Amino acid sequence: MKPLTFAARSLRREFFHGELATLFAALVLAVAALAAVATLASRVERAIVASAAELIGGDLGVSSSRALPPEFTAEAETLGLRHTELADFPSVVFVGDKSRLCDVRAAGRGFPLRGVLAVRDASGPEKNVHEPEAGSVYVDHEVLVALGVGVGASVQVGGREFRLAGEIVRSPDSGNVFRLAPRLVMNYADAESVGLMGPGSRVRHRLLVAGETASVDAFAAWAKPKLPAGAEITTVEDAQQNLRTAFERGESFLRLAALLAALLSGIAVALAAQRFAKRKTEEVALLKCLGASRGEIIAALTLEIALLALPACVIGLALGLGMQEVVIAFARDLLPGATPPLPLGPPLAAFAIGLAVLFGFALPPLLRLRDVEPMRVFRQDLDARPRRFDALYLLPFAVGGALIAIEAGNARLAVTLGAGFLIIALATWLLGFVLLRILRSGGKRLPGALRFGLANLARRRALSLLQAGALALSLTALAVLGVIAPSLLDRWRLELAPDTPNYFMINLQPEQRDSMQQRLAALGATNVGMLPLAVGKLVAINGVAPKADDFEDKRAANWINGEMRLSWSDTLPPANKLKLGRWFDGSETEPSLSVDTMWVDMFHLKLGDTLTLRVGERDITARVASIRGVNWDSFRVNFFLMLDPKTGETLPHSLVTSFHAPAGVSAQLGTLSRDFPNISLVDVNAILDRVRDIVDRVGRAAGWVLAFSVAAGVLVLLAALAATADERRFEIALLRTLGAHARQLSLAVLGEFVALGLLAGLIAAIGAAGIGIALAQGVFKLENYWPPAWPLLSLIAAAAALVAFAGWAGTLRIARTPPMAILRKA
Amino acid sequence: MPSESVLSATEVSKTVDGPDGRLTILDGVSLDVARGASLAIVGASGSGKTTLLGLLAGLDRPSTGSVTLAGQLLDTLDEEARARLRRRLVGFVFQSFHLLPALNAEENVMLPLELEGSSDAASRARDALARVGLDARRHHYPHQLSGGEQQRVALARAFVHGPEVLFADEPTGNLDQRTGAVVSDLLFALNREHGTTLVLVTHDVALAGRCERSLRLVDGRIDRLAAEGRGQALPAERAAGEGRA
Repeated sequence: MKPLTFAARSLRREFFHGELATLFAALVLAVAALAAVATLASRVERAIVASAAELIGGDLGVSSSRALPPEFTAEAETLGLRHTELADFPSVVFVGDKSRLCDVRAAGRGFPLRGVLAVRDASGPEKNVHEPEAGSVYVDHEVLVALGVGVGASVQVGGREFRLAGEIVRSPDSGNVFRLAPRLVMNYADAESVGLMGPGSRVRHRLLVAGETASVDAFAAWAKPKLPAGAEITTVEDAQQNLRTAFERGESFLRLAALLAALLSGIAVALAAQRFAKRKTEEVALLKCLGASRGEIIAALTLEIALLALPACVIGLALGLGMQEVVIAFARDLLPGATPPLPLGPPLAAFAIGLAVLFGFALPPLLRLRDVEPMRVFRQDLDARPRRFDALYLLPFAVGGALIAIEAGNARLAVTLGAGFLIIALATWLLGFVLLRILRSGGKRLPGALRFGLANLARRRALSLLQAGALALSLTALAVLGVIAPSLLDRWRLELAPDTPNYFMINLQPEQRDSMQQRLAALGATNVGMLPLAVGKLVAINGVAPKADDFEDKRAANWINGEMRLSWSDTLPPANKLKLGRWFDGSETEPSLSVDTMWVDMFHLKLGDTLTLRVGERDITARVASIRGVNWDSFRVNFFLMLDPKTGETLPHSLVTSFHAPAGVSAQLGTLSRDFPNISLVDVNAILDRVRDIVDRVGRAAGWVLAFSVAAGVLVLLAALAATADERRFEIALLRTLGAHARQLSLAVLGEFVALGLLAGLIAAIGAAGIGIALAQGVFKLENYWPPAWPLLSLIAAAAALVAFAGWAGTLRIARTPPMAILRKA
Repeated sequence: MPSESVLSATEVSKTVDGPDGRLTILDGVSLDVARGASLAIVGASGSGKTTLLGLLAGLDRPSTGSVTLAGQLLDTLDEEARARLRRRLVGFVFQSFHLLPALNAEENVMLPLELEGSSDAASRARDALARVGLDARRHHYPHQLSGGEQQRVALARAFVHGPEVLFADEPTGNLDQRTGAVVSDLLFALNREHGTTLVLVTHDVALAGRCERSLRLVDGRIDRLAAEGRGQALPAERAAGEGRA
């Protein structure tokens, strides 16, 4: 036998007869969903990253404590990237006898590569500029106030005179809350020539690059292994914790949606393959009877599936890519800025995953056919030798697991989904098994037709359990997509409530507290939070001076070598959650500390440990009294370390304030800066907008994916119903022959399907809620999330009703067919 | 009468485990079929006819005893080797036709040739279909053919590769009398033309009567008394009474 010819002939004929068309459709959907979502997600992400690049002034930065070797700029040039150099360092600015410590930024040619540096010159209007010309500088408003000069005046930096060419209105790193001194931007060449960056200066160098995404990626890949000690690559995600979390969450959402669509399709494939294999049993028995070997039979079956799969994957891919183009065309604003090019990776991965889904889910029942007895040609009740355990059926689980592991891109998401679905499958099996047992013994008292329907479920136990499992898993997937994901997104939006603080104010002096509070109230600011801020240095942990090398977490070095910020409060600040120990109540007899969990992990701390902190000239040894979890995305001022207020009040400190200012008060805020010349006002609207933007785009993109998933869900439903359709047709025809009327048939079928729908629906509702809570806590880090009960119950009720209706409608059609036609075919 | 044996069974028994304990389907059946001979196996439903046919064709293994087909002891062959033997030597005709619904008449007939790896499968299949009078319908699919036509396609398929032994299981069981007669005429005509050994299972006495010999199964045993009691035993039944056909 030529298996390929045989497979092609069979496919030609069988394609239009049910299962193979379902297989084909399921596969097209799986590949289309994966290709569309993965490609769309990748492009949306790239577009967001590109537009958010303005926050760091370029697409990528390489920062280092020493100037980078020239090969870095050479490579950037080779790759066709635009590039510029930056150097940040503190220096004092003088005008006459007045001085102000500034955070100086020496900017190279073309800075900023992305985003806007806007200044206001002496004449008033704002304009977008690049690095200042040689001999001139731009400064923050605060510097002008502190030095008592205006734009156009001369200032002295590093012993040389510079002209104040403008007041900075906006600059790419405006979201940096803890920049403790106001900004001064000067020309890079000036900073070099004045000798500000000589040995001993605390300079942080940065090379910024910008250009085509592929080139930026290539540069990052080239640079990574060549980084000098202490140097690091900075991306937009690294620069802003809030943004990074938003990216991660957004990506998880999209991956979740695509993954569920693919898994749904996998279930449809598995069901259709099961039925296909069942129908092929007779054929395999005949072929064996005629002398075909197992190898030839398996080759023919596998080839038939492969011949089906290739065009399905190609069509799915075309459909998916077309779909995401349509989405981009219709929802133009989904992609900010220029549309990034079509990435190759996601579509190729979708193609490969489509094949894996097909073979993983379809092969087990087909391979089982090799055990069909040739004697079956005479006796159709001869089933393949039953096995207690068939390792083949682990294949779909392995493929499903691998799919989750690869596509989730996040261990927690993978584990949550994998474990969730496994538990649901097991629960359905167990509960179904018990219920069917009960039905078998207790169903005898039910009315005739209903009893017959339920008895059918019990009789086809294996098939009923398979059907219930498939329905429960697909309903769960739909519920997660349709109810859980949107409610998680809402919960996320809630974190960015309209009154989320959009301004931070640093350097406010304690005696200015009351008057500032009045001023803020007057301009309509809400959600005002004020906390003291002292700056210190970590000197010892449990009496021993810490060394950066002792800790595996590299971030530890930042605090061991650098400064750290301290605060205190009578009450636990919002966005903080006490994990261990208790909050300060004034009864402390020695200095006490509350430590954030990240620090606890980083420095291996526990309750009762002591930290010695040097604030000014004073060393304080404080005991860890509590451990807090801090929500760092809350747009509030948060601290790793908080002292007990009694100890804190004795330290020199300023106040740091966060508040929400309504739109259109920038003029009043400007006045505020003039009236309180010592304060620095940080506008985080730009970051807040970006995060909101990401939530919004992710929400809309996920909505598009939902459409695919619903289609896949319907396909699963159809495949699940078709799984028992043949048997049911025969039974109904038989009942009809015996004189059953349509009402009795409907009751029998409704009984069967309502039971099936309710079982699957109930498990799906509980399963989806469980997965939702696990996702909220483990993956999306959303506190206090509770799945919405009513939408979940409604969705499940609707799905159960749909199952019952679809089953019933199918039966009606059969009931209208003359019984003889069906019995003769059987 | 040809003397060389092409098929023999020695003390063949088949037992299966059922819910009420072990069930004996065949019990110590022995027979010999000479090359080119025709043997009918008759008996009531459940007497073990089809099980015996399956064992003789190597579709199943006996619980005890042995079967030899064309000089090959089937017990010594594994499933794959038995399949290869069937491919070469055996043809089948079934009560319910068993045509593959996905293949048209010609493709169904080509199947045994393709399994052999024959290079002129299509032209030989066309000739075989012409022989059964269905040349014009070779592109029709099974569901487009009547029962009689389907069985004629099955006959073409059974003879197309020139098997040594043809096993037929109730070949007219699903057909009306007239169609059944046409099909059985064709079956015996083809059998003569090809010189094939025929083993036929039926409970149609008239059909059995067209075979050279016949044996009756009762509860899994060859019935010696039935032949004697009826007093008009066919030669084969007499042979069965002696334990050898």
